[in-house]
Amino acid sequence: MTAGGEALFAFCALVAVLSALGTVIVHSPIRAAMSLLAHIIALSGLFLLLHAQLLAALQMLVYAGAVVVLFVFVIMMIGPSVPEPPVLRGMVTKTAAIAIMVVLTAILAFSLMPVHMPDIALGPCLPGEGAECDQFGGVGAFSQSLFLDGLVPFELISVLLTVAIVGAIAVARGRSREEVAASQHKRDAQAKAAAEQGAREQAMAAEVSAHGGHG
Amino acid sequence: MDSVLVAATVGKILFVLVVVLTLSPVLVWADRRQSAMIQDRVGPNRAGIPIGGFNLTLAGLLHPLADALKFMWKEDFIPPKADKLLHALAPIVSVIPTIAAFAVIPFGDVIWLDHLGEVLPASPSGRGIPFQVASLNIGVLYVFAVSGMGVVGAAIAGYCSDNKYSLLGGLRAAGQMVSYEVTLGLSLVGCFMLYNSLLLEDMVSWQIDRGILGWGIWRQPVAFILFYAGSIAETKRIPFDIPEGESELAGGYFTEYSGMKFGMFMMGEYIAMVVSCALLTCIFFGGWDVPFLARDGIHFSLLGHTYFEHTMAHWAVSVIYIASFLAKTVVLLWLTLMIRWSLPRFRYDQVMKMCWRYMLPLSLLNIFVTGMVILFSGS
Repeated sequence: MTAGGEALFAFCALVAVLSALGTVIVHSPIRAAMSLLAHIIALSGLFLLLHAQLLAALQMLVYAGAVVVLFVFVIMMIGPSVPEPPVLRGMVTKTAAIAIMVVLTAILAFSLMPVHMPDIALGPCLPGEGAECDQFGGVGAFSQSLFLDGLVPFELISVLLTVAIVGAIAVARGRSREEVAASQHKRDAQAKAAAEQGAREQAMAAEVSAHGGHG
Repeated sequence: MDSVLVAATVGKILFVLVVVLTLSPVLVWADRRQSAMIQDRVGPNRAGIPIGGFNLTLAGLLHPLADALKFMWKEDFIPPKADKLLHALAPIVSVIPTIAAFAVIPFGDVIWLDHLGEVLPASPSGRGIPFQVASLNIGVLYVFAVSGMGVVGAAIAGYCSDNKYSLLGGLRAAGQMVSYEVTLGLSLVGCFMLYNSLLLEDMVSWQIDRGILGWGIWRQPVAFILFYAGSIAETKRIPFDIPEGESELAGGYFTEYSGMKFGMFMMGEYIAMVVSCALLTCIFFGGWDVPFLARDGIHFSLLGHTYFEHTMAHWAVSVIYIASFLAKTVVLLWLTLMIRWSLPRFRYDQVMKMCWRYMLPLSLLNIFVTGMVILFSGS
């Protein structure tokens, strides 16, 4: 990697880590959403370092332009949330959580330490490498693999997404007015029947008690 | 990267900044003067510099300057219960993406440094510098990627101002802009298929190869109308000014902004207009193309018969190309201003219904028809 690439990687990685932490730590939901936005932008910078131009653009387009906006939209609809009471967990839970974190970090650190990190960033194309290197990560190469090599899984995923959307609409839409009216009618009839039943039982009980009184 | 390329890039960035930052105050002036003409008023014409008893007003052109000075010295009021950090961040988030979008817009043809003083040969040698800041593989997708961020700026401005009008305006802005971005992207897919490229410079050269009848507006008229309407909705101008709604929301999401922060929102809106008109020029009006002007001079020929020929130096042709691009953009901007002052506003539900029920299906139909035509014509 060139010096400029190193600097860009360090900057993007730092921003990505800090904003990811911020997303989790910050109390205000809207600030958490803004941290998420910063995280997404930093990630697309990292994609650019890997020559994945299309992926970087899609990251911005889909996540920054649509998903974060959706989050902000929901936060705005719900309004400023009530400040939550601080979560008071016992010392046991806290100690266990910290211990698990330390162990996991240690495992990760020890397993990565002997490995020589491969230089995965791609340098600029050399003169002899031709068009294939030039096109790598671009729209053409991406579409080649999406629509020629992986067409069937791609189409299957779009069918799956359609099913999910239809299901979400069916759940969110609720019932139509006729259905509501029909079920209301049914419930009324049930309530009426129950009331009649209750009245009959009451009358019977009264009769029984009246007879008992006489008896 | 050697020093010539670096110098050229810095020069191009400066050119873009100068064009954008001078066009937006002039647009404010044009907007106000033109609305006055349409409504039979005089409009702003007083602000001036007194020079020896004579008041230099330049037909009101100094009003934007006075406005800018006022923005700078006005008290920057932040509502006491507002989120101060995000309140300050929102105008930045909404203005930076619009300026960044200029990076991929080609303002003119490739400039060959070695041939500047002579007629350009058929196969020029030496170094050619494309007149655009960056040529990205993703082309126009970059514009969509960065301008999608503008929505976030408007939304958090509305949320963080601690004002119900602002909140409503922010909600409307988020809903409207996300909806119209979908149409905006889909309306151009037909053009991508036709030009067989995502790069704006490739689209322009495709149109230049086919002459004035090859311009995108003749080949993709439906896409032009959809994209133009969508871009007006993206800039939140009348008839789509629901998020700002002066009569019902007192300014919408920027109600609680004053001073230069308000100025940044306003500037962002006008710069976004310039971006969309520059895109329209590239995609539908042949970019820097001038009919009968080729790279080496004028060739006035009709139906295979050449009437007039005149060779021109490369620098002259390049200047004409850039001027032609800017002229087309300015004409489209003028049309946008005319639309603002000619049409009544939509209601909010009408804006959303128009997007999802009419414009989105139309843009899908446009893609389908374009695909069919390309498939059967075999080109």
